[in-house]
This record gives sequence, structure tokens and C-alpha cells, in this order.
Amino acid sequence: MPQLKQLVVESPDEVGREAYERIAADVLQDLDLVKVVEYLHIYVDPKVPIFVAAGRLRHMPRAIRVNDFANVNIGEKMTVLDIADETYLAPLLRKLWARYGKENVDQPDRFTVVLPAGVAGEEELEQMVVADPSETLYKDVIYALQYIAPEGFKVRRQYIKGGKFYYVASEDTLPGDIVETMVAPIFERMGVTL
Amino acid sequence: MTTLVPVTYKGGVYRHDEIMDLIDDLGGYVVQKHVMAQDVVLQSFVPRDDIDLIREVAKPLAGEVAEAPLVGTEIAVVSPSLEIHHLPHTACDIAEYLRRAGAKTNMVGLARGFGKRIANLNDEERDIINEHDLAVYALGNFEECIREKLPAIRHGIHVPIVVTGAPDRETLVRIIDPPVEGYVGGVGRIMHRFKRPEELAKLDELVEEVSRTLDARRDDLARDPLSVFPPRLMAILEEQIYEVTMLTHPTPVTAQMEGLRVKLPYEFYADDLRALEVADGVMLGDIADVLPSRMRNYILIRIKPFSETGILV
Repeated sequence: MPQLKQLVVESPDEVGREAYERIAADVLQDLDLVKVVEYLHIYVDPKVPIFVAAGRLRHMPRAIRVNDFANVNIGEKMTVLDIADETYLAPLLRKLWARYGKENVDQPDRFTVVLPAGVAGEEELEQMVVADPSETLYKDVIYALQYIAPEGFKVRRQYIKGGKFYYVASEDTLPGDIVETMVAPIFERMGVTL
Repeated sequence: MTTLVPVTYKGGVYRHDEIMDLIDDLGGYVVQKHVMAQDVVLQSFVPRDDIDLIREVAKPLAGEVAEAPLVGTEIAVVSPSLEIHHLPHTACDIAEYLRRAGAKTNMVGLARGFGKRIANLNDEERDIINEHDLAVYALGNFEECIREKLPAIRHGIHVPIVVTGAPDRETLVRIIDPPVEGYVGGVGRIMHRFKRPEELAKLDELVEEVSRTLDARRDDLARDPLSVFPPRLMAILEEQIYEVTMLTHPTPVTAQMEGLRVKLPYEFYADDLRALEVADGVMLGDIADVLPSRMRNYILIRIKPFSETGILV
């Protein structure tokens, strides 16, 4: 399993720094984001007060297609989908109902979905996108940062796009140029331009 | 005079009533009884000289008797909020550990206790914390924040306070002004269960700090004793007010160091309680204040000291 390559926490308060290192590691592990976050840099200074987290995501998980979890068997009278993993069954059924109509989608048992022959081609079914885990991943990453940050820091600015993310929070109003002054230098040290 | 000491009895359900009868016969009191599946935990006060006798009787039943310094106390564990940042770890782990030492703990999640500048305490929170014997404040990781916010969230609290936080004990002592009664360093906001030996050692330290603080209060009470020992009053109440036995609360009557919390509605039962005959010719109203609790509509009984009433039941 690929581990988080770098987790850096900086703070003028040494005790707090150690505590936040542990918090960040625990939260990422709890939310199952260790494999997703490649680099995470946190700076927290309660005197200002400011909390800055910036980092890079490893790779975005690709979209889940029907052939990732089911076999498509085209018969003479009907097309049978043999489900190997039920995880994405519910979104699959929703997609099939929307596309072919409920009357054409039959599910005789948990692991079988049957369509009448001719409504859908093999290629079309196999390549059908059922779910996109990256959609919820963005939310999970931001949630994790919200969870790591001190609770009183309610004023925040967040960004996540193209594998890069940052999260700035404070108890007071954030200055307008906070991203340029605090976040950009961190990305620079990572060798990434925002 | 026999001294009653707080102990916990842990054993099976089978024949545990014999232990309860024994404690009763010896002149002790069971203040709390927990039945969990096939196990029973009795939080009780028993005469010091008879602990060995209870151990002997409990031996064939595989029961254990251990000293539990916090039996008969009600402690508030105050968390800055009920958000995921502060719960379940730290606050719940602390509450659970204090319970093992015999205390009855209540969690108080403040509505706005987070943030160093914006933290505050409302009157309901203040009054509820003041109804306890002691408050444990489970604070966070930064020295700066603890220094700035604690004055706001302890405003108006007159019960002893024990503060936990990530900075070490010396730092906590230095930054907290005016001083509180107890400090436990190295326990800040954490996101995992307390399970490593050093973390559990911290919880032991907390129990020690809490019992030391409460012992100081007990010493004061020994100098001017209460008109009636709270567990004794609890036994009288349970005997005479049958409704108490019908309550489904885990602790229908909670023993505190200087009183009791009775989980009956104040508006219907306060007068009955005041008129309750505690001993020959002594009404409960003579030796205690029967007050409405800020916790739901419960009743809070605060027992007056002997010096005020001249009565000792």
C-alpha cells in the first residue's frame, strides 16, 4: 500500500506541532485518505491565528464502468449482467432504469440483472460509467482538513482542483491576499505552482 | 465511629444479592448498581474494617472488591463543543475512565466553548456545571488558546476545576491564572482512542488529580460534617418514596458529595421531599435545601452542614 509520502506540520508551538502531526495522521487514516493524499503541509499559528494546509493528491481514482464489476453476456433472447461485486449495484440499477426504462430491467436475484435482447449493445453496456469516486473524494479531502483544523477557526477558504488543494482557516477575517502570502510559498517548496 | 470507604464490587449476577445484603447488614450503602449482561458492578460505601469480610464472602462467587476513590461523586466532563473535533475521544475516554474509578460522570458539551477569542459559557451551562462536585475541562493543544479561553469558560464556576491540555503540567500551572485545583498535561485534542500505556498512565494521573482535589474537600467536610451522609439519605429516599424505584434512569438518585440529584419532576415532588421524615421528628426540609435542578426538571438536594442545623442523622 502506498503510504503518505510527506506529512509536514509546522508551528511556533512545539507541543501543538506534535499534537497536530498525530491528529493529521489519525484523521487521514480514519477517512481512508492515506492512499490518496501524496503530500500534506500544515502550518498553524494560534497567535495570528491562522491554519494553512496545502498539498497534492496522488492520482484520482478513475470512473467505475460496468465491466469493472460485472460480466455482460449477450444471449439470443436476453442480455444478462452477472454482478461480481455489489458495491455499485444501486447506481447501476438507477442508470439502467433511466436509460432503458424500468419495464426493461429485471433483477431475478441479487447478482443478476436481465435486459431484453436488442435494447443495448455489449460494448455500450460494458463501457457505461456507473460511478465516479473522485466526486466524493474532493468532499472527503476538504472534510478531513476541516476536521484537522482547530474548531474555533470558522472563517475559511478552500480550493481543490487538478490534484492540488489548500485550506486556510482562521478565527478572524482572512486577509484578501492570504493565498499569495501564505499558501503560494508552501506550494513553491513542494515544487508546484498554484 | 466506623469510617465508610468507597469501594467497587465486580462480580457475576449469580448470588450478587447476597453481597448487597451483606453490605446493608454491615451498615454500608450501595449507591449505584450496574448490571451488564452477566456482570454486576456495585459502587458502594462499606466500613473499612469489613472489607476483608466482603472479600471472603465474594471469593466463592469470583467477585472482586477494589477501592474506588470516586464513588459517591458526580463529575462534569466539560468539552468545548459536541463537534467531531472534541468527541468522541478525549472527553468520552476521560468520562469513561472516571466512571471506572466509581464516579458518576456527565458530559457537558458547551454550545460555544471553542476558539480562543470567541469562546463563552452561557448561564445554563454555568449552572449545570455548578451542580457537580467537580468539573474536568478537556482542553486542546495550544498553550496560547488555553490561556486565552479558559477565563471565559470558567467564568462563574465555583466548583473545583481540573484542566487537561497538551502542554505539560508546569506550563499549564504557569499559564492558568487564577490557578485551578488540578492540572493534567499531555492530554490535548486527540483523534484516537487512549490505548497506549503512556496514554492510559495519563488517565490514571487524571484520576489521581481528581481524587486528590476531592479528598481536600472531604477533609473540609470532616471538620464540619453534613447533617446526613448523602448515601444514607439516598437509602431513606429509596425506601420511602416508591416512585424512585419505578424510574428507568440508570441512576434514579445520584449521590454527590454534599447532596443528591433526584430524577423526579420538581414541581410534583419537591414538597413531598421537604416533608419527608428522615429520622424521628426531623424533616428533610430541616436539614437540606430542596432545589430545582437546571438539568431537565430534576430535583437537587443540598444537605446543610451540622454547624447550621445542629442535627446529625
